[in-house]
Amino acid sequence: MKRARVVGIVAFAIALAAPAHADVDGDFADQLNGYRIYGPRDFNAWMGKIVCQRLNTGVDGDVHKSVDFISANLPRGTTQLQTWQFLAAAVGNYCPDQMSVLGR
Amino acid sequence: MRQHRLSFVVCPGVLVFALGAAAVVLAGVASADATDDYPIPHRMIITTCTAEQILAAARDFTPIYYERYIIDKHNKPPGVQQAAMDRAHCFYSLSSADRRAYAEEIATNIYGEPVAFQRPNWAKIFFNNKGVAAKETENCASHPPDDESVWDG
Repeated sequence: MKRARVVGIVAFAIALAAPAHADVDGDFADQLNGYRIYGPRDFNAWMGKIVCQRLNTGVDGDVHKSVDFISANLPRGTTQLQTWQFLAAAVGNYCPDQMSVLGR
Repeated sequence: MRQHRLSFVVCPGVLVFALGAAAVVLAGVASADATDDYPIPHRMIITTCTAEQILAAARDFTPIYYERYIIDKHNKPPGVQQAAMDRAHCFYSLSSADRRAYAEEIATNIYGEPVAFQRPNWAKIFFNNKGVAAKETENCASHPPDDESVWDG
């Protein structure tokens, strides 16, 4: 059930990330705003890139570690669903090659 | 201005002064220049974590601060990078009393920390921000004590 939910979130994130724009940070911010995730745009963009860096280097070896990292660094009050949405949006925008990690 | 002060080496290259009997009176004056939280936060003076554990906690709980520190590190020559690592290793090998003495030294002696002349922000992630220091010291214990990969980001 949880897996299906994650897959749904990921599919939705990919659909939103599909149009190729030069302003990836802007697309990412717009997508986050759609999830009612706000906060400084440069902070969110850097966080999104760090999420990808941690996946690329293996610091976060699976999706749950990645979610724990995001959860610890987004503002209090961020829901679990928003945390997963942030992860999906970050991967979709900054490291689509890591999309498979979302199924781990 | 303090006089009659002696220097001794606690860590390689780090000069920390010792006060002779005649200078004990002056130590009271010096203590006004540093506090238990300045320039080195008290949590960093009493923590039992290693530099690597502190950095790992920074990576996980203050990631942007950590990234900035690593970028600054990589912008320095290898020798300066290594000097900062050595100095951090040295600091966390000291007792709390010696760390406090070191805080006093760098608060009162502009030449007390030679690495600062080569890399002013060498200890920024460790000492500069009490909120960051709090997150680091609260979360450091669960990380491996000797994982040097944390210095490379």
